[in-house]
Amino acid sequence: MPSSGDQSTADKPVTDIGVQRLARVYAQAILDAAGNAGCRNEVLDELRALATEVLPKVPAAAKVFASPRVSVEEKGAMIDKICAGRVLPTTLHSLHVLARHDRLGLLANVVAAAGQLADERDGLQRAEFTTAVPLDAAEREQVVADTAKALGLRLAPTFTVNPDVLGGLVVRVEDTVYDQSVATGLQRLGRSLKQRSIHEIQYRRDRLGTP
Amino acid sequence: MKFNTDEIASVLREEIDRFERKIDVRDVGRVLEVGDGIARVWGLQGVMAGEMVEFPGGITGLAFNLEENSVGVIILGDYLKVTEGDEVRSTGKLLSVPVGEAVIGRVLDPLGNPLDGKGPVISDERRPVETLAPGVAERSPVREPLQTGIKAIDAMTPIGRGQRELIIGDRKTGKTAIGIDAIINQKNSGVKCFYVAVGQKDSSVAVAIDTLRKYGAMDYTTVIVAGASTAAPLQYIAPYSGTAMAEYFMYKGEHALIVYDDLSKQATAYRQLSLLMRRPPGREAYPGDVFYAHSRLLERSAKLSAELGSGSLTSLPIIETLEGEVSAYIPTNVISITDGQIYLQPDLFFAGQRPAMNVGISVSRVGGAAQTKAMKKVAGGLRLDLASFRELEAFAQLGTDLDAATQQRLDRGYRMVELLKQGQFAPMDVVDQVFSIYAGTRGHLDAVKREDVATWEKDFITFVRDQVPELRARVVNSKELDAEGERMLEAAIAEFKRQWAARESGAKAGPKAVAAAR
Repeated sequence: MPSSGDQSTADKPVTDIGVQRLARVYAQAILDAAGNAGCRNEVLDELRALATEVLPKVPAAAKVFASPRVSVEEKGAMIDKICAGRVLPTTLHSLHVLARHDRLGLLANVVAAAGQLADERDGLQRAEFTTAVPLDAAEREQVVADTAKALGLRLAPTFTVNPDVLGGLVVRVEDTVYDQSVATGLQRLGRSLKQRSIHEIQYRRDRLGTP
Repeated sequence: MKFNTDEIASVLREEIDRFERKIDVRDVGRVLEVGDGIARVWGLQGVMAGEMVEFPGGITGLAFNLEENSVGVIILGDYLKVTEGDEVRSTGKLLSVPVGEAVIGRVLDPLGNPLDGKGPVISDERRPVETLAPGVAERSPVREPLQTGIKAIDAMTPIGRGQRELIIGDRKTGKTAIGIDAIINQKNSGVKCFYVAVGQKDSSVAVAIDTLRKYGAMDYTTVIVAGASTAAPLQYIAPYSGTAMAEYFMYKGEHALIVYDDLSKQATAYRQLSLLMRRPPGREAYPGDVFYAHSRLLERSAKLSAELGSGSLTSLPIIETLEGEVSAYIPTNVISITDGQIYLQPDLFFAGQRPAMNVGISVSRVGGAAQTKAMKKVAGGLRLDLASFRELEAFAQLGTDLDAATQQRLDRGYRMVELLKQGQFAPMDVVDQVFSIYAGTRGHLDAVKREDVATWEKDFITFVRDQVPELRARVVNSKELDAEGERMLEAAIAEFKRQWAARESGAKAGPKAVAAAR
């Protein structure tokens, strides 16, 4: 599925349930600590930058973080070397905590979970808008505003382009999908036509067949 | 037949004109893992237990396990077409099957899809596969008999409409044959029949369907097939679907009979599902609720009260035992749920006694209440007599000298055993059964050679039909054998015995004399 560019890979839901539960625990702790220090969004941005911008550029670093062969002390030293003085103390401490528990490999998952948790705490619902063609900024704004108003929710939108929907719009808010795409409409029409013709044929046959 | 294509086209055009583009709102999840007929789904936050979900390509599933972070779904269809990452949508509906007259005479899968190539099942009505059984106030006692046409069963372990009678025995002891015979005997009785084949070889099911068709039983029978190669989820729900179709007639005030062949295979399928779903295993690795799985199924068989139309659903569950082990988990469970059991034994089967019913441990807890008065009168005590005969027979094998009275009891027993033998697919009318059992229990067969008992019986029944039709009509109409009827029957037997003796002596004299006597 091609992305419109503003959807980060770290925000994609994780399919390993065990990892996800674990990440959520760390995410909660990090958010609480950052909240107490009064720098929640900054910490979140720094962690997100690290997970989505820095690590993908240095795949070796990600491997080292995840590797059990590198000792916890070495990982801690690496973090100090990379981040000390460049990030907020809360961010650094969070990374150290992850390193000490040998969970640095889950950094991307923790960041994704923290993002989701922060949205939940802000009363924002994650909404994914899928269209067949890319929308411009004004259209995006309009669509988000209209949807938020119709559903009575505050939305944290992401946009996806998928030519398979043919036309119209598909909005997914959490687990609920509001689908007014041409593809689904055609599918439904096809199904009902098929059912109707089977019914007609059978009905006529039964009517003629029974004495 | 030719269809008017223009007419169909205009109907479709109308359908397109009326088509509205509504927003399709659905609750969705994503498949995390899939295999062996089950899928683990992430999302589907609002799904309810037992709700139907839909995979891409129209494959249905059933929400089975609701866990903290995922939903366990059993896939009712081709699970090989479901892949990781597929979108799953909830439907807000319970699993249901088509019901009504349209299913009669059809061979269907557990979802109500046709397997007989006779086109789709067109029915406006559907019933949920899982429904609550009728409560105490909605039932009435089982009183009306359901004739199986098998002498041994109708006389000794009578089955009433609304009863659950278990058929239990080792493999190849004639369990299915009893179920099929009972279905064949429902011809002209207005009872709708359902044969649910679970985990059976497709070849055996084909034979059963062929037999039913041959004896004209498919006109009032529905066959629900989840064969041995069908995925476990479908085998698990097959008995529930069959019951839903049969219940429709019960709630309409009609009578239905359902044969579950067999529930041990269903329990195995359920065990497979539960273990894959990581539900904790219990005895013999079955899940803790396997008893409930069977009890909630069999409780749906009932005799409804007069206010609800007095309909009934009779069930004949079949259980296969291993080496006669009735104390295994599933057999004891189902024995305790049902209202009696017919126990079939391989040694009796191979000794030529068919049906190979062990009368000592076969019972019907409804008992005489589900017999016609005539049958009750002639067959009362027969079961106990036969059971004591079996004991006596074992004792006599020790080779001790027997007194005359004991020998006489043994002779009577041997003849009763012969009399209760019956061929497959040859159900007998209940009135004929009464005459034949009367002759046996009253000792009229004592002088007949053991190997001649079957011929004697056959000829006697023909004799009564042809030469004493007023006696038959009397019992058919009144359903009882009063003093006058009994007197007429005694007279008929005496007359037949005379003819039989003449024939016997003729046979000794030579074939010419036989021809002359006839």
